[in-house]
Amino acid sequence: MEELANINWGLIAPLLVVQAILMIVALIDLARIHATNGPKWLWALIILFISLFGPVVYFIAGRKTT
Amino acid sequence: MITVSNLTKTFGTQTVVSNVSFTLEPNTATALIGPNGAGKTTTLSMLTGLLAPTSGSIEIAGVKDIRREIGFLPQYPQFYPWLTALEFTEMAAKLSGVPGPAAKKEAERVLAFVGLEEAMKKKTATFSGGMKQRLGMAQAIVHKPKLLLLDEPVSALDPVGRREIMNLLKELQQQTTILYSTHILNDAEEMTDQLLFLRKGELVESGSLTEVRAKFEAPRYRIEFVTQEDALQFTSQSQLSATAAGSTVYVEIVEERPKMQQLLERLAASKFAVTKVERVTASLEEIFMKVAGQ
Amino acid sequence: MNNFLTLFTKEFREAWRSLKFVWMPLLFIVLGIMDPLTNYFMEDILGAVGNLPEGFMLTMPELHPIDILSASTSQFQSIGLVVLVATMASAISRERQNGMATLLYVRPISFTALFMSKWAVASLLGIISGVAGYAGSLYYTVLLYGSVEAGAFIKMLGTYCLWILLVMAVTLACSAMFNTAVAMTFAILLLPVGLMIDSIIGSFWSLSPWKLSAYGLQFISGKTSEYYTETLFLTVILIIAAVLLGILYAKRNAATAKI
Repeated sequence: MEELANINWGLIAPLLVVQAILMIVALIDLARIHATNGPKWLWALIILFISLFGPVVYFIAGRKTT
Repeated sequence: MITVSNLTKTFGTQTVVSNVSFTLEPNTATALIGPNGAGKTTTLSMLTGLLAPTSGSIEIAGVKDIRREIGFLPQYPQFYPWLTALEFTEMAAKLSGVPGPAAKKEAERVLAFVGLEEAMKKKTATFSGGMKQRLGMAQAIVHKPKLLLLDEPVSALDPVGRREIMNLLKELQQQTTILYSTHILNDAEEMTDQLLFLRKGELVESGSLTEVRAKFEAPRYRIEFVTQEDALQFTSQSQLSATAAGSTVYVEIVEERPKMQQLLERLAASKFAVTKVERVTASLEEIFMKVAGQ
Repeated sequence: MNNFLTLFTKEFREAWRSLKFVWMPLLFIVLGIMDPLTNYFMEDILGAVGNLPEGFMLTMPELHPIDILSASTSQFQSIGLVVLVATMASAISRERQNGMATLLYVRPISFTALFMSKWAVASLLGIISGVAGYAGSLYYTVLLYGSVEAGAFIKMLGTYCLWILLVMAVTLACSAMFNTAVAMTFAILLLPVGLMIDSIIGSFWSLSPWKLSAYGLQFISGKTSEYYTETLFLTVILIIAAVLLGILYAKRNAATAKI
């Protein structure tokens, strides 16, 4: 574990921050949208637990557009 | 005046609309009536220009591009859920040729007219069925079209919504020509200068409500007895072409026979207890059944 | 022109309000910074989780800026492209299928304006995302692997933007021609899958739109491919063809809009 502690977290931070923003944006949109394809709670789980692709799949397939 | 001549549409070997011709006078309302599958929507689609006719023509006197002069409300209008009612109506106005600055004003005006003043800044995703129908009406009239086409405008609405839309239509009739399809005959009876009956793609009957009524009028007497037994007994004894329905009996009138006088005398001489005798004419419903069953 | 501006506003509002201009660039940024970072930490990662035998010597190849930018490009061209195509493949077909288009098509609109407005917004989205992704990749590349010449980078980026214009024209043409499911299948077969096939068996030819971004990348190592100009020219011709086809079919299929 020592090696991990030595990693330069300053370098990785932006990657984590961008992914977090993506997740938050998806969650805010999920909360505000009138309806989704499939249950909302399921999308919330997908967004929260599948990093990067969870929010992306939500934006492509989750938002109801009619 | 709008002239439709020999309008025909075939899909493959199937003829959906066959040789339909009619004219629409300015500021009149015409009801396009027919059972489901009679070709009402297809006829309207061709009038909007969305569907090209296989043959035949549609002309509005003095107008080159008829799409500019047409407003259309489909049976189930669908809106972009991310636009507000005002944004959508404004876009519709602009696309129909209303210049930019006037488009927004016109959009606000028609939205107020259809009763969406409060909701015009709301996204259409949140709209109820009745609100969508009213927005559909607004987008159809925002560019002041010469011809307003409506596909089953009130069929999907509750009685209150239906009342509201019918009132709007009556007001619009003062300034524009209206053609609407319906299978609900009460609506047609309420607001119509001309009736067009479609059956299997053919125009089988047309004319004003009075004309069509006169043509299909089946005058008869309606006698209400107190008991069902009396009604049945009268029917079997009378030697008239009578039919009983519960305690009511209908007596057909053929060449003005029997006369009311004769009928009353016969009833008076009998022991039957009668509450009501009247001469009735066919309702639109019955005319419709007759035309549809030809 | 008026038609175009009105329809462009509508399309832009759609993309903006559905947050496409937010999440798509964010996705490309993640894809762009993933490779420079993972390559940089590869040794640490292997050391930490690999349980390598004692005395095992790991020789990592020395990576140059062009290797990293190539790696990021292949991320954009696979995952990024599939997402972009899947998002836009329904742009024309969906409106027809659910009846929203009916209220527009009955008006005297120009189908050229209709197609162009959608193409403009889709391209803008693709270009902003591509630029954001490359900016992220470039930042880490310069930080960790060495400098990149600005002029070369801009040429490469411009070439990629032209590719995006083609991608969007083809995707929307498919959407104009078919229903959403078929359009998406065709666009994914033509674009990301086409790229893959071209990279496997493409050594037999040198002129192909799928090679455009690879030729663009060569600017970074200071070279200009001898086929670059011809490929660029071919791409422009294909863009024009796709746009014309799209306009033609948008108009022809207008009658299939649900009433």
